[in-house]
Amino acid sequence: MALHSLHRAHQVPSVAALSALESALASFRISTQPSTPSGRRNASHQAQGRANGPKDTAGKRLGAKKADGQYVVPGNILFKQRGTLWFPGDGCFMGRDHTIHAQVPGYVKFYTDPVQHPKRKFIGVVFERGNSLPQPHNAVRRRKLGMLAYQMPSTVAEQTAGDLTDLTPSSPAEQSSGAAIPATIVRDQPQEARQTKTIRTRRDGRWVETTLTLRPGHQWRQANWEIGRAAERSKAARSVRPFKPGDRFAAWRKRNARIARNAELRTMKRGGKKGGKAKK
Amino acid sequence: MSLNRPLGQCFRSTRHDRILHLPYRTLATTTESPSTPEATPPPPPDATSAEKAHRYNPNLVHTSRTEKKLIATQNQYPIGSRRRRAALATSTNIPFSQLPYQCFQEARKVLLEDRAEKVREVEMMRERIAKLEAKGSRLGEGEGEVERRKREHQIRSMRKRLEDWKILADINDPLVKKRFEDGMGDMTKPIYRHLSDLQWRTYKRLVLMQRITQMNVVPDVLQSIDPTYSTSIRFADSHKVPHGEFVHSLLSEKPPVLTIQPYNAGDRLVTIAIVNPDVPNVERDAFDYRCHFLACNVKISPTDTTVDLSALDPETQVLQSWLPPHVQKGLPYQRHALFVLEQNPETLNKTYSSPSSPGTLNLTDMKSRKPEVTQREKFVLRSFMDKFSLQPRGVDLFRAKWDDGTAEVMERAGLAGGDVEFRRKRVEPLPYQRLKGERFR
Repeated sequence: MALHSLHRAHQVPSVAALSALESALASFRISTQPSTPSGRRNASHQAQGRANGPKDTAGKRLGAKKADGQYVVPGNILFKQRGTLWFPGDGCFMGRDHTIHAQVPGYVKFYTDPVQHPKRKFIGVVFERGNSLPQPHNAVRRRKLGMLAYQMPSTVAEQTAGDLTDLTPSSPAEQSSGAAIPATIVRDQPQEARQTKTIRTRRDGRWVETTLTLRPGHQWRQANWEIGRAAERSKAARSVRPFKPGDRFAAWRKRNARIARNAELRTMKRGGKKGGKAKK
Repeated sequence: MSLNRPLGQCFRSTRHDRILHLPYRTLATTTESPSTPEATPPPPPDATSAEKAHRYNPNLVHTSRTEKKLIATQNQYPIGSRRRRAALATSTNIPFSQLPYQCFQEARKVLLEDRAEKVREVEMMRERIAKLEAKGSRLGEGEGEVERRKREHQIRSMRKRLEDWKILADINDPLVKKRFEDGMGDMTKPIYRHLSDLQWRTYKRLVLMQRITQMNVVPDVLQSIDPTYSTSIRFADSHKVPHGEFVHSLLSEKPPVLTIQPYNAGDRLVTIAIVNPDVPNVERDAFDYRCHFLACNVKISPTDTTVDLSALDPETQVLQSWLPPHVQKGLPYQRHALFVLEQNPETLNKTYSSPSSPGTLNLTDMKSRKPEVTQREKFVLRSFMDKFSLQPRGVDLFRAKWDDGTAEVMERAGLAGGDVEFRRKRVEPLPYQRLKGERFR
């Protein structure tokens, strides 16, 4: 200790020597000392281009399209808005962009209904010019039928004597002999009444009903959508177990099978060797 | 039954057999002596045990898997609540009084003491009410009209408090709670009526109120209703209709069976009305009312809740027989609102009931003197209730629309118009108006 202090006392470096040493060491330093602040800040907000300038877009033509008491028909736009400044009241509905439309023919009313909601403003349509909104809350609602009754066209089709609509195989012989039975026309009706034929065939041990339609070019065949869906009714499709969302046991089995398969594949790739291939 | 498994409850899953049969020690005050033999040693395996291995006990199954297996393999249904079955399966079923938990037994003592106090309170209240009632409704000596009214009010409020005490006496009893949850509650007792009322109000009544307000039954048919009876509708013996659901016309061809559950004691007579407020009227361009069913003097009580509308007496009960709901093609759906109206003997219109049987309405009088109120078409429930002074107590709703069975149902019921289709009336569009100064560009 005494030796150290003695040594220090003998060799006090000058100020100039220290500054020279400092500048020499500075070139070896990894991080630069923040001796002089640079004054640079990164941009956190777009300053160039269209960012802050153009706010003078075209007006969106919002607002009331019909005045109070004006006659409207169903579908008429009463108010265009962003958000719900106004809510649809009686005889009105709100469209996709919060636009208020009329639902019934009548006269527009702008009103508030503190019982229904303390703050909302409503637009409604009344049937008579003198009516007012809101209605008393215990009163029967004003409604109109807005419909007319028509006689339906008679839909009774002409039935021929050979109508064999019953699809169940009647005799046990018919049930037992499967594919031997030829396709038979089971619903035979005059073509004026229906342009379809239904044939019944035995396929995969089941009775399959096929509807044939008279297509252009006088061909009796299935509709395209029916042909497209034939794969869903195939034997292969029916053999697949339907997916059950909550069946964890099936999910667990499938997962284990997949893992086992992958493990097997991996083994085959390696050629039965244990451990990974050595990298070159 | 008891849950004697404080340790067993800690297990995350109780569905595995190995957990159920784990040897565990309960929090007994004394240790079990190891020399104690098993109460019932397992029976020796026999030839049929392999078949019996997968017999499920309907009293004990408590997982969805085993419940399903029970139904599928044995064609039996689980008994009671799942909570009860789980408790039965996982506990040793020692009665409460013999459970070896000191704290539990102390708590039971407190509960029993509390119950005894409440029962004393009930008895005292009964005596006081009897004393007050002995004075009768006449004026006592030196008593004015005001005092008499005051006494009557006192009796009423004391009766109400008596009912409260009766419920409070049993509300903390775990056995009562268990019996109620198992569906074994006796509806003649106030506590079970209280519990079922509470259960109804926590969910089903909220759904019902939502349906009848959202589908506007309340302002359209009746100004307001605060239902106190729960109702349910069953068509074709088994098809239970949720409130406001659509019912196929073939199902609703025959009258339904109702369940009307009052939650206050005693027998009563009710009027049942099914009203359709959506009947089209083309001439008026509006909707009319129609009564699809109307019956008076139907007796119900908390225990006697089922009303078969087809089994009511046409002489003394049915005013308007069942008319199948039929909605013609193209019309919007029609609501069929069911109302249960109480015939309170005190407030009922006396001109339509005989003094020998108070509360009973005379059908012939009603029909002959008020035909415009009891008619089927243009039936207005508001005026019907006003005329006979009935109080609404229960409400239910189902809807109907045109379906493939409607035409034949109408034909079978002898109703014309099955081949009528409704279509929207054309509303003339507004003329295109050009603004005054507008010009082509």
